[in-house]
Amino acid sequence: MFQVKRFVAILMAATMIPPVGGFAANHRSAPITALDHPAGITDWYAFVSYDDPTKVTFIMDVDPLLEPSNGPNYFPFDPNVTYTMKIDNTNDGIEDITFQFQFTTQFKAPTLPLGFVGAGAGINGPANAPASLSSPIPVSGAVIPPAITSLSGAGAAGLNYSQTYSVTMITGTGATAVSTNLVPAGTTLYAVPSNVGPRTMPNYTALAKQGIYNLGNGVSVFAGTVDDPFFIDLAAAFDSLNFRSGSSFIGTGGVLSANQDQNDSQNYAADSLSGFNVNTIALQVPISMVAKSSASPVIGTWAATYRSAQTIRSAPSPITTSGALQQVNRMGNPLVNELIIGVGSKDTFSMSQPNDDKQFANFALDPILARALNAVYGITVPDPPRTDLLPLVQYSGPTIPDGTPAGPVADMLRLNTSIPPTPQSARKRLGVIGGDLAGFPNGRRVSDDVVDIALRAVAGAVCGAPVSATGKKTVCTAAGNPFAGTQVPALGDGVNTNDVPYQETFPYVAFAQSGYSRIHRNAGDKTCAQAAGCPAQ
Amino acid sequence: MKLALAVLMLCTMAAAQTPAQRAILAAREQIKKDPGKSPGYNDLARAFVRRGRETGDPDYYRQAERAVLDSLRLEPDNFEGYKARVMVLLGQHEDAAALDLARKLNQRIPDDVLTRGLIADACMELGDYPQAETQTQWMLNLRRGNIPGMVRGALLRIIFGDTEGALDWLTSAFRLTNATETEDRAWLLTHIALLRLQTGKPELADQLLNQALEIFPDYYFTLDALAETRSAQAVDLLRRAQKLAPHPRRLFALAVALKKSGSAAESERTFGEFERQAVRISTKPDNANRELIFYYADYAHKPPEALRVARAEIARRQDVRTLDACAWALYAGGQYPQARAELDKALKLGIRDTTLFAHAAAIAEAVARAISR
Repeated sequence: MFQVKRFVAILMAATMIPPVGGFAANHRSAPITALDHPAGITDWYAFVSYDDPTKVTFIMDVDPLLEPSNGPNYFPFDPNVTYTMKIDNTNDGIEDITFQFQFTTQFKAPTLPLGFVGAGAGINGPANAPASLSSPIPVSGAVIPPAITSLSGAGAAGLNYSQTYSVTMITGTGATAVSTNLVPAGTTLYAVPSNVGPRTMPNYTALAKQGIYNLGNGVSVFAGTVDDPFFIDLAAAFDSLNFRSGSSFIGTGGVLSANQDQNDSQNYAADSLSGFNVNTIALQVPISMVAKSSASPVIGTWAATYRSAQTIRSAPSPITTSGALQQVNRMGNPLVNELIIGVGSKDTFSMSQPNDDKQFANFALDPILARALNAVYGITVPDPPRTDLLPLVQYSGPTIPDGTPAGPVADMLRLNTSIPPTPQSARKRLGVIGGDLAGFPNGRRVSDDVVDIALRAVAGAVCGAPVSATGKKTVCTAAGNPFAGTQVPALGDGVNTNDVPYQETFPYVAFAQSGYSRIHRNAGDKTCAQAAGCPAQ
Repeated sequence: MKLALAVLMLCTMAAAQTPAQRAILAAREQIKKDPGKSPGYNDLARAFVRRGRETGDPDYYRQAERAVLDSLRLEPDNFEGYKARVMVLLGQHEDAAALDLARKLNQRIPDDVLTRGLIADACMELGDYPQAETQTQWMLNLRRGNIPGMVRGALLRIIFGDTEGALDWLTSAFRLTNATETEDRAWLLTHIALLRLQTGKPELADQLLNQALEIFPDYYFTLDALAETRSAQAVDLLRRAQKLAPHPRRLFALAVALKKSGSAAESERTFGEFERQAVRISTKPDNANRELIFYYADYAHKPPEALRVARAEIARRQDVRTLDACAWALYAGGQYPQARAELDKALKLGIRDTTLFAHAAAIAEAVARAISR
């Protein structure tokens, strides 16, 4: 047959996937991810465990802005999403170790309209209970099951909707990869449900703690809904850098006073994520399990989510492979996709691999955010190319031992596991630029204020700072003149800490906020994580 | 009463219009409201491209190009205007130029899904199947089950020999396509029918083509396909299609059908007319060179001419159909090993096509004969 107008360019014009729009916000990083909340990674943390410096903790948060009162089904992980944590320990931007998590959902009583229900010892049908449709006698026994006090067995009668999960460690990649099930035989891992409220879950902390599992060999895991540990004035940040300039600020909004900058436990603007939960997977493993050796202690880490792939090429016959996966989202350093990558490249970034990040290098070497800070605040920013930012995307910087191969440009969160954790009393929210080498960008702790750090780094705060452990320094210019990081003002969103205290032990994040009593802070509210209230300025 | 009649008439008129005609009207309305902005002109250009495909009339591509020029005059840097230009270029078979522009657009906005699809379209036309696959897979990776991705994926599956897989995706695309998109649905049904024909189900193919004609009456693409399932009516069907959307390519098919039906004299006349028209457009992008190659090789018995046209065409594009035509020209010229090498380039992709297999068998036999001599 001869061929006529075979092209399909205009085919399905009416049903074409809509062109990607210009939406981007912190917890919904790329256009397509904005439509796929369960697979959307909100934050990725990697740090040497505060209470055990022989271990490293990874925390992956997904599914943003979970309103604690949003029942009745609350916030399951998506069983069709494969959640992964990846570690490069050979400095090439390719994962050497992957931890993979897969969730399964169970319904105990499918006819019940609620996923989570319970009260006291259970509420029986009273004497005047109406007869049931199937029986002429009144309903007797517990109409409302006992309060939920356990994730399984006795005390879990009202946990109608529950999720279990698997943890697999994959060493290597491709055909030679080796998978190991990390869950001991006979152990079932339950995801911790959201905190519905005091009647249904009267001792939520005790319930959540049951979701911390010791898998042996020094490995611990926790999965479930928790308080979102991230803190930011999201509204101001994405209202074209419209940081608050209220009475608590001196001068321009977005520039903190010395007192404000030094107070890591008080907020001067509302934490937009206050009162919101997020789904988290936390994993703690011995450093020896992920670092190549004690002589090579630096790892590059990132999180990625996958869905099953729809491939043009069918499986070979006989079928030798199955379960092909397609990456939906990834995160290494915080705020890269949100603040650095152009809106027309965000989905491409989400779907690509860190070792291919050279294609996005221009976004980092001439960040629009720096130009925006220059335009909005009038501050001087360094000239491109911004090689001072390379330590964020290469194995270099003051926390990386000399002699470590820099590797390719790759968005990974790098962690020198030989740097011990900083005690809580000495911890600085500004991490390395605040003089605390155990914080971002040496990994990332839940308390690191990556918004303020990112604003300052993009404005040139690391210019003149050491880029190697032996003190080699970056050199920057602005309009051709020498530029030092000390010229950068104390940029910040005024949100210095989380709305509730973190934990100092695994899983380090605060357990989920109660749906019954959650509070979202409003603009202008001062909040702090101290039980005694906010200190005076 | 008058108002009701007017509404009824308007509704009837709207129902009688094709999707492209409706899109043209809507775009013109938009231009009237906002003549100083590019979106209306971009919509008009896309609508004309659609109309070009609906009718096979190349004049619509010229109108589309004028709309693109208007759009770019008003807003010289507008991305959608350039995308519309790529569509026009593809419609005019300016595949290399379309690919060049689409790649530039892709560098500018890597996340634009349709641009990826346009690159895939151009690559398929030019025979760069690995690149077409990469771009189409990206579309499917972005979102499973999107129709444009599945349709392009189905066409690639045909090339890779996965006929059942192609049927699966084309059928899914048909089910997902809005009922108002009549030409799209007929296009899909016609492709499904052609695959059914390839897999030895001519009755089913015929039913599907009938269904396509009910959805989009007088669709030249479907009439061409129907001529393959109804050999007794092939001449009439091809004449009807030629009247609707004249093209030298179809004259060749008509001449062959006439010859098969025993109308030798009319077939000769039609071949003659075909050759005149095909030679006239031989150096143009929208040509009938593949048919010209087969004509010279099989009917005019002029192998050197077949080879000359084949060499010119293969320099332009290396898709499976052109590779097959080139191989056939070499075969006709007695260059059997070279013919086999050329056809192997197509067959190694995995394609399972009766015409290509028949040619491969003839070439293999000739090679064997030559060796045994």
